[in-house]
Amino acid sequence: MTMYISATFRELTRKRVFLVTLILTIIFLVLFAFGVRELAGTDGQNQDSPAERLLNSMVLTVLGIFFAQFLAAFFVLFTTMGTVTGEQENGLLLAVAARPIPRWKLYLAKWLGHAVWIAVYSTVLFVSVVWTVHGLAGLPVLAEDMLRGWALFVWMPLLLLTLTMLGSVYLPMLGNGICAALLYGFALFSGLVEGVSAYGGINPAVGKYVLLTGLILPTDSVYRRSLYELLGGADWAGLATSDMGPFSIPSVPSNAFLLYTAGYAIVLLLLGCRAFSRKDL
Amino acid sequence: MMIDTSDLTKTYNGRGGCRGITLQVPEGCIFGLLGPNGAGKSTFVKMLVGLHRPDSGRATVLGQPLGRPEARRKLGYLPELFRFQDWLTPVEVLRFHGRLGGLSPKETRSPAFRNRVRDTLELVGLSEAANRRVGGFSKGMQQRLGLAVALLLDPEFVILDEPASALDPIGRYEIRSLLKQLRSKGVTIFLNTHLLEDVEELCDEAAFLYEGELLASGPLDKLIGGSGESGDGGVNWRFRLGGWLPETWEELNDAVGDALSAMMRLVESDDSGNAFLTARVTDREQAGYLATLFIRSGLTLYESGPEPSNLEAWFVRMAQSRRGGVPQ
Repeated sequence: MTMYISATFRELTRKRVFLVTLILTIIFLVLFAFGVRELAGTDGQNQDSPAERLLNSMVLTVLGIFFAQFLAAFFVLFTTMGTVTGEQENGLLLAVAARPIPRWKLYLAKWLGHAVWIAVYSTVLFVSVVWTVHGLAGLPVLAEDMLRGWALFVWMPLLLLTLTMLGSVYLPMLGNGICAALLYGFALFSGLVEGVSAYGGINPAVGKYVLLTGLILPTDSVYRRSLYELLGGADWAGLATSDMGPFSIPSVPSNAFLLYTAGYAIVLLLLGCRAFSRKDL
Repeated sequence: MMIDTSDLTKTYNGRGGCRGITLQVPEGCIFGLLGPNGAGKSTFVKMLVGLHRPDSGRATVLGQPLGRPEARRKLGYLPELFRFQDWLTPVEVLRFHGRLGGLSPKETRSPAFRNRVRDTLELVGLSEAANRRVGGFSKGMQQRLGLAVALLLDPEFVILDEPASALDPIGRYEIRSLLKQLRSKGVTIFLNTHLLEDVEELCDEAAFLYEGELLASGPLDKLIGGSGESGDGGVNWRFRLGGWLPETWEELNDAVGDALSAMMRLVESDDSGNAFLTARVTDREQAGYLATLFIRSGLTLYESGPEPSNLEAWFVRMAQSRRGGVPQ
């Protein structure tokens, strides 16, 4: 396993996709910091009351985390969409799979190798966004809330990784990338629709649609729960997230749903191991 | 037996692949698998190394059933259309495969393993590129690295799928020498190749696949008729004669009768009375009868013997006939 973690690190650091991701991430974080600084008015011209400043910092956090999860998702898609069929097509898997290592172990090792670095990248994004808003806009951060928010923020791309890797056993690299991106897009879109529709109370049809997309790919639900936890949960989160149009969070996934996502990931991993073990390379 | 298969079948939705392959590869030999494109050779090889799951039949490799990691522990494999990670160096690729082969991190960092990596790269002629990224390698260099990976862990049995296809003549010569060296150390080699001269020079035994079916297998000299015998049991015999006249051909044909005259062919003759004939005879006695006949007809017999056969002719004959005897 450690071998695959270090091999994946070498792959990520030596491939141009990593450099491009790194540059874009830095640009995003710099622009975000600049925007937060301007909006929060940290140069002494801010005449807002503490309550307004708190609200503003929460809104900025919502926007920052929203774009950060977007970046994390695209990092997952671009680095893992060809994990199996891509490597099969270009011949990378032939010498590897002929070695005396069970296929399921190889699959899990690949998953873990990617998971570790995706978690590291997501952590850097999360911490950077929260630290920026905390430092420049005065977002109050409680260690416990931040830890819960962070764990769920990291869990979101790991769910996407699990689905994308399973897809890569069956679909060609490009097809899998498109399919996973579409599913992720549907989940994101359903969350935005729910946010917009929240003004007039959630329409039952929209509610069912959101639930269905959440069951198929629970990334958006996990993201919303992550944000909810980060912003203080039941005590504070409602302040900022009830009136943000598409970014509103009218409903928060329950603990039972989080348990479902754990089961979802385990089942998908097992299916991936099984499919990869039976696949002709 | 290094390989022992019985009715091994793998098709792709009922088409292609290979069907009912029963084959034994003994220990210590170089075994060549031959056949035209699409014959099912790579499918067969991929089943042996666990990359493909057979539809039916049974097989053992190194005494272990197919698909078991134990079967691959002492096996080195060079795939056909393969690539290694562009972002790694050959030393890193070998270390990675050392770990995949079951070595611990400590073992792959040991001086013994470092020496092993150095020696293997030297063996395949990649010493100078040991720390360069694989991404900049030519196809031939990639092929050499593939061979290094296959030989890294001192395998007892090596399966090479087109090992010399991307190499220049010098590279091919070096690989041939290397394979002979391995055989002398007792390593069994299974060679899947289109390069018939490699098979002719290296292989002790061979098998011929055509459209997914095994048409012939056995010792190479028996298959191609190294002593003039061919797969169907007949022998091509040649006669170099003197005292040849323009009317001699007709006289000979009349003398030997229809059946035998159909087997004889005048290859060339000149004004000085020299002629070269070939005849397809069933055995040496029949060739002796023809020699006596030539002498009785007043011809001088300068040379007589079985025509040297070659693999290419056998290959073409097998592919064209689509059937061949499996030598006992």
